[in-house]
Amino acid sequence: MLLDFDPYGELGIATSASQDDVKAAYRRAARRLHPDTNRDNPGAAAQFQEITAAYNLLIDESKRRTFDSEFAQMKQGAFFNFRVTTSKRALMRLNEPQVIYMLADILPNTYAAEHPEKRTSRLNLTLVLDRSNSMNGDGARIEKVKVAAHQIIDQLNQDDILSVVAFNDRAEVIIPAGLVKEKNSLKARVSMMNASGGTEIYEGLATGVEQIRKFIAPRLVNHMIILTDGHTYGDHERTVNLARTVASEGVTISTMGLGQEWNDKFLDELATSTGGTCLYISSASAVVRFLNDHVRGLTNVFAERISISVAPDPDIKLESAFKLAPNPQPLTIDQGNIPLGSLQFNRIISVLFQFEMPPDMEIGFRSAARLSASGDILGDKIRRHKVVNDMSLEITENNVTDEPPTAILEALGKLTLYRMQEHAQLALEKGDVPEATRRLENLATRLFELGETDLAQQTQAEAQQVAFTSTLSDKGRKALKYHTRLLLSAPYQEKNSE
Amino acid sequence: MKICPYCAYSNREGFLFCEDCGRRLSGDANATMPTRTLLPSATKDLPKTNSNTTWGTSHFDPNATIIMVIRDADEPLHLKPETRVLFGRVDNSGIQKPDIDLTPFGALEKGVSRIHCAIYRDDLTLTIVDMGSANGTHLNGQRLTPEVPRVLRDGDEIQLGKLVTYLYFKSTSANI
Repeated sequence: MLLDFDPYGELGIATSASQDDVKAAYRRAARRLHPDTNRDNPGAAAQFQEITAAYNLLIDESKRRTFDSEFAQMKQGAFFNFRVTTSKRALMRLNEPQVIYMLADILPNTYAAEHPEKRTSRLNLTLVLDRSNSMNGDGARIEKVKVAAHQIIDQLNQDDILSVVAFNDRAEVIIPAGLVKEKNSLKARVSMMNASGGTEIYEGLATGVEQIRKFIAPRLVNHMIILTDGHTYGDHERTVNLARTVASEGVTISTMGLGQEWNDKFLDELATSTGGTCLYISSASAVVRFLNDHVRGLTNVFAERISISVAPDPDIKLESAFKLAPNPQPLTIDQGNIPLGSLQFNRIISVLFQFEMPPDMEIGFRSAARLSASGDILGDKIRRHKVVNDMSLEITENNVTDEPPTAILEALGKLTLYRMQEHAQLALEKGDVPEATRRLENLATRLFELGETDLAQQTQAEAQQVAFTSTLSDKGRKALKYHTRLLLSAPYQEKNSE
Repeated sequence: MKICPYCAYSNREGFLFCEDCGRRLSGDANATMPTRTLLPSATKDLPKTNSNTTWGTSHFDPNATIIMVIRDADEPLHLKPETRVLFGRVDNSGIQKPDIDLTPFGALEKGVSRIHCAIYRDDLTLTIVDMGSANGTHLNGQRLTPEVPRVLRDGDEIQLGKLVTYLYFKSTSANI
């Protein structure tokens, strides 16, 4: 039998629980998570399946005995912890809806730090590189990409698996998937790439998928990096669908947009729907550093295919999710399990959720949301390790004045800046130029106050640009979006990486 | 609803930062009051200037003066704040003396502390800080947490103990 989940944790009961306890716990959980009471709640749907599976296992006496004996050996070893804090522990009852934030942190346990021999993560890496005509621009981007690819090859171990695909209107396999053995000949093949033609990401992705699938395995870090500098036309939906399919097979896709002309919404979606990262590389000279940093991160992986699912109670609405660390990025909440990519040894994954609580709640303690995090632990070969966290809150008559946790305040202060540029761009899309200008000016003011002078000046310039021409420059739009995101990463990660 | 004290934008309850201007919203659920009716006595005592055109603003011109109308008093006080103005009541035993002595306005009976509160002038705003007074300072009916500054606006009501005062900004240009 596959030990791929913990039914006791799932139902929140002790391993000594009687069959009656199991039934009671299941009924309690099912009432909250049942699809009939939770329409449009993908998190609840996903969790309902899991508690049902847990119940079916435990209620069958013989299955439970087999499981118990295997489970006893599994309990020790490397795993990750899951910590959830709320912006307020108690809420005042109001006759209007109110917002509450939850910060979810996933962190490796100390076992990982104490057992360095467990730190072996093998890579199954696929590079999908744009070699369209535009890659000749900006001081020969393609040459920088080649240098970066060379350095990646140098960085990899002999038992890592690498494949390289180049695409323009069509895709071609530069290096077929295989072990990184003869590094020089691999590098030579990369050097022969030259740039011409248009950009069709789907072709590149499809060929990359063929390569990565050859070695896809739960014990590997299966990762694909797509680097592009141009728009792709008409194949968005196909591309995202394919990405989601391979994501369900265990592949994470990171995207890197080079220069100003690429479609940021599309690359963001591609990355977030698979748990990867979307990065903005403004100039070709930075490509080498970005790619290398990214791949180095992959070699430190402790657990892979981390995902989180959130099932708020039926009267509570999950409004948004934002990954704070590593690599700040908005997340989509339409999937039951939100993919988050890999968990590194020395890093923490932090996600901030925003919920709306209903008006006129009953006084007293109430449950709010059931959050669960799962992932594959590479060193100990544990699949789908899972931790569940049931969040409850107190509703009171009185005004609650305690300060929210600093981590939430700090993150939210910066996230607000990201949202401000988002609102400005939204206003602009609707054609409301004065509103967009005003919002950008507000943002510039805040950035100045926070000492982010460069970004503030850029924002100020963009505000003027909007006022005069009613559009943002391509460069400005991306700079605002990705640089306000980066504000979140700097201090936050330093604090947690110790 | 939570109204931003800086830009008056209406945020949803529970927001910690103003969605519009990005500043931190106070942790207090009733930090700002949406509407407020000025008492008739305040309007009666209002000096004949056009200062009411600036009601509600927190912008304080560097050359402006504060007009402080004390309820049940004949004459308003005219203050020109430097960096700090300390309000209180002079008492023989007091070690520290306030800048403005409120004894003539019945401070003792109304429970004004010796060092009650202070108004600070920043670049273009005024803030009020309760200095740990015995009976508290209320800004627009809400009690201030000691030592925590709050932004002042034209037309604010400040209550020291039971002593009620109204604050108006008077820019010098309005005088001409």
